[in-house]
Amino acid sequence: MIYFLGRYLHPHFDSFSFLRLVDYISARSIGAALTAILLTLYFTPIFIRYLHRRGFVDQARATGIASASDKAGTPVMGGAVMIGCILVSCLLWCNLANPFLLAVLIGMVWFGVIGLCDDIAKMRARSGDRGMSESKKLLLQAVFAAGLALFIVGPFSPLPASQAGAFYVPFLKAPLFNSIWFYSPILFFFVLVVGNSVNITDGLDGLAIVPSVFVVGVLGVFGYLLGNAIWARYLNYPYLPGTGELAVFCSAFAGAGIGFLWFNAYPAQVFMGDTGSLAIGGCMAVLSIVLKQEALFLILGGLFVAEAASSQIQDKIGIRWLGRRIFLRAPLHHQMQHNGLAETKVVIRLWISAGILALAALATLKLR
Amino acid sequence: MRTIRRVLLTGGGTAGHVNPALAIGSVLAGPETKFLFVGVRGRAEEEIVPREGIPLKYVRASGFPSALSLETIRFLANLIMGTAQSLILLVRFRPDVIIGTGGYVSAPVILASSLLRKLGLSQARVFIHEQNAVPGKLNRLVGRFAHQVLVTFPETLSYFPQNGAHVGYPLRKRIAGIGRDEARQKLDFSIPEGRKVVFVFGGSQGSRVINRALVDALRYLLPHRDSLFLVHGVGLYKTREYDAVRDTEERLRRQYGPVELEQIESFYLRRAYFHNIELLYALSDLVVARAGAGSLNEISAMGLPALIIPKSKLPGDHQVMNARAMERAGAAEILYEQIAPVNGKLDEFIDGKVLADKILALLDDPHRLEEMRRRSRSFLNQDALARIERRIRGTDAEPLREFIPGTQPPETPPLLGNGALLQKLERALAEQGSAFRPETVIPDPRDLEYLKSRAGSLLTSASWQQRNLGVKLLGLLNADDKLPALLTLFFDREPAPLFQRLLGGDFKQVGFIRRNIMTALIRLNRLTPEVEKALLLGMEDPYYEVRAEASRATAFFGDRLSSPEPFIAALQRLLKDRVIEVAAAAAESLGKLGGEKDVLPILLGLKNARFWKVRAAALRGIYSLVERGKLTDFSLLEKEIPDFILTSTDFTPQFEIKSAYSRLMESVSEKKEGRAQ
Repeated sequence: MIYFLGRYLHPHFDSFSFLRLVDYISARSIGAALTAILLTLYFTPIFIRYLHRRGFVDQARATGIASASDKAGTPVMGGAVMIGCILVSCLLWCNLANPFLLAVLIGMVWFGVIGLCDDIAKMRARSGDRGMSESKKLLLQAVFAAGLALFIVGPFSPLPASQAGAFYVPFLKAPLFNSIWFYSPILFFFVLVVGNSVNITDGLDGLAIVPSVFVVGVLGVFGYLLGNAIWARYLNYPYLPGTGELAVFCSAFAGAGIGFLWFNAYPAQVFMGDTGSLAIGGCMAVLSIVLKQEALFLILGGLFVAEAASSQIQDKIGIRWLGRRIFLRAPLHHQMQHNGLAETKVVIRLWISAGILALAALATLKLR
Repeated sequence: MRTIRRVLLTGGGTAGHVNPALAIGSVLAGPETKFLFVGVRGRAEEEIVPREGIPLKYVRASGFPSALSLETIRFLANLIMGTAQSLILLVRFRPDVIIGTGGYVSAPVILASSLLRKLGLSQARVFIHEQNAVPGKLNRLVGRFAHQVLVTFPETLSYFPQNGAHVGYPLRKRIAGIGRDEARQKLDFSIPEGRKVVFVFGGSQGSRVINRALVDALRYLLPHRDSLFLVHGVGLYKTREYDAVRDTEERLRRQYGPVELEQIESFYLRRAYFHNIELLYALSDLVVARAGAGSLNEISAMGLPALIIPKSKLPGDHQVMNARAMERAGAAEILYEQIAPVNGKLDEFIDGKVLADKILALLDDPHRLEEMRRRSRSFLNQDALARIERRIRGTDAEPLREFIPGTQPPETPPLLGNGALLQKLERALAEQGSAFRPETVIPDPRDLEYLKSRAGSLLTSASWQQRNLGVKLLGLLNADDKLPALLTLFFDREPAPLFQRLLGGDFKQVGFIRRNIMTALIRLNRLTPEVEKALLLGMEDPYYEVRAEASRATAFFGDRLSSPEPFIAALQRLLKDRVIEVAAAAAESLGKLGGEKDVLPILLGLKNARFWKVRAAALRGIYSLVERGKLTDFSLLEKEIPDFILTSTDFTPQFEIKSAYSRLMESVSEKKEGRAQ
């Protein structure tokens, strides 16, 4: 709204000439980040008390790790307030007519609502293991993934026609292939995998949110650079007009994420719940896709990939099929705890790893 | 009373379904009555029905598939096809009454008739007779379309709350009162006077388990040959895997020398099949049989005491349920099939000595036999056919949901399924800790015995998940007679398929099974040389959880081990395991084994171990040594142990507000209780 207001006011009234700033993505990004931080810092404590009163608290899950059971009774669904703050901040600072932005926002809200239903179902069943069925969640996510694939490769694609089916890998200038028939299935599964990876990672206080901020922050940088003709040509990237707007979204996300960490840091006063983790997964997936950085996500979101892969390999291949554990425990952070690391140490070590991976991903900008 | 001119009988697959249909048909017969039998080609009805002079027509049908597969498609196609064929038959024959005796054969006819009824094209009244205590899936389904479902066992009424009626089992007419002397005269062989007669048979086809068990039992029955006479119906079964007659003869010759064989022949008569089974019933003092509904009803009609060996792993375990109904009525005793190693492979099995002891114990107790005889006669009502006739002719229609007076089944809660049983046992174990006994969960010893045998039969399942479930259950149920079976499973080193091995699999008996066998050894708490061998092998297992659990089991047996040296050496090797969970388990276990000389130096050597969990485990191990009074020189200990607490990477958080809260809540509830008293 501030964006539209500024765009309307400054050409016509000299006294509002300072509103020229809204033409600059950088200025709006800073505004969005600050707005999101302040909103989360203000609303989260109110929301925590509300969740407590309504009984929306964590239901312990039979993982057999003591420090988790100690925290039974912490409110979940903190992700809802985070998403709300991001949305408000975007409403104020973004160009809402931008199709990239809309795709990301819809992705985030869609996944967030799935998570919300799951959280509520878990509250009703009074058990952390009995939420919405896994297949139901996957089906709803698949509907979105299919819709997104149609949008990206279809006639209403916001991407330049030459880029719709292109699949880029880091360190290579040219796309690995450019065919919507190969690309669409990759896109589809990418959404499902990435969309759920944050959910799997979100098991310890502060573990999911900091790496998410790293990932989204780096993607924001990519959005800013790829949406700028000069930078894109200089860095040998395809120019994707309009993606600059995503930098504003990413800033709002980072702001809200830091605001959430304020309360989520060990020992947590609130968890993001499936609401938060699925929403973050959803928006990270859409961001990577519209910026054509799906393969980069293997490095950038390496932590999430490792967590999701270890959990799935353990459960689907090991426990269900081979009849043995392949890792001592899964996902990764449980394995580290099992080997005798305190929760705080596990979290900080994984933050450091995620930071290193984010820097490595950023470094690929120039290495092509 | 309705006039019945046209009767359609349907049911088959085995004689157990065909005979009841024919028996019911026989009471409806009149000078005007026309019959049609509908069955499936190539099954028992093809053999039996034409001999009775009843026209036979065929439809297509197949059994209800146990899992979703290609079979399901075949089943559905056959059901549709069979129903279409039945429609034509029904329209042509226009029956007044349709009688289905189950098996999958009768399903299409009954579906077709209910279709015609909906269309107003048929007035036929439909009756189903269910022979077993647990109805088959198809009978449960088509039972809704019948006017009445006539059941043999009162327990079965709960499956048909709308239209069930308890009538009993329609027996062939010739199974009826024949005197002993008359039977003796008609028999084509002679039984010496004054002998107690035991009739052993496993249905017309015979039973491998019973046949083999009886041959083994002869050794223990031999000393009683002057007071005993065994008649054995070996059975007609003959396939490549098992030929009843040949297998029995070979087993006899393998196990007994010529002298013994001669003695055996003096009190043991065997034939593939007896055509006049009613004579044998009349002469028997005890029957050993399977628990098919037909056999049980014949036994009951003759008022015979029985030792029942129900066949396991049948749908709904219906033989077991039949047998348990008879056992509850006090008319029979049950011997469950057990899983045991036979030539290195697990198989169903009855121990010959157990069978012999059970037979001798029963024969030695005439009072018990007489009591069983009396109860057997009243276990199943005798005039089932009359009752069925009254229902079909419509003179005795209401009320439907009834029991025959005096046969009200005792209120018994249904038995738990295996999965639910495991959950309940595990919960009880978690609550009661070391005081846990399976009897607290399953108070009835007869239930417990059956559940143990059922858990055992899981060990031969094709799916590892089921075998694993069986292993866990056997441990928790404290089934120590299954120890050999568990060990056989553990020593089975058949490799997993190649593609599984490439992904980290190892043996067919997967890691979880081997780990849970180690856990079960602790629960069974029986130490034999074989168990010691298994523990040593377990500590060298390729799968880490087995190694860890084997160390814990070794510690559990501790001082009871025959000689600790090889175990200490194995545990010492495990201290260098790449998985710290294993190293820690080994360190803690060492403290339960040796003493100051052998174990203490090893444990003290761990003071610089890289992982604190190993160091902590070593400290717990040394603590065990101290508690067991194995240490004399404490000065060395006091000098060395401070080195253990280098630093730790873990701690347990404590929420002060939560402890304040729980202290307050405890005090409140104490005060409240005080006031209540």
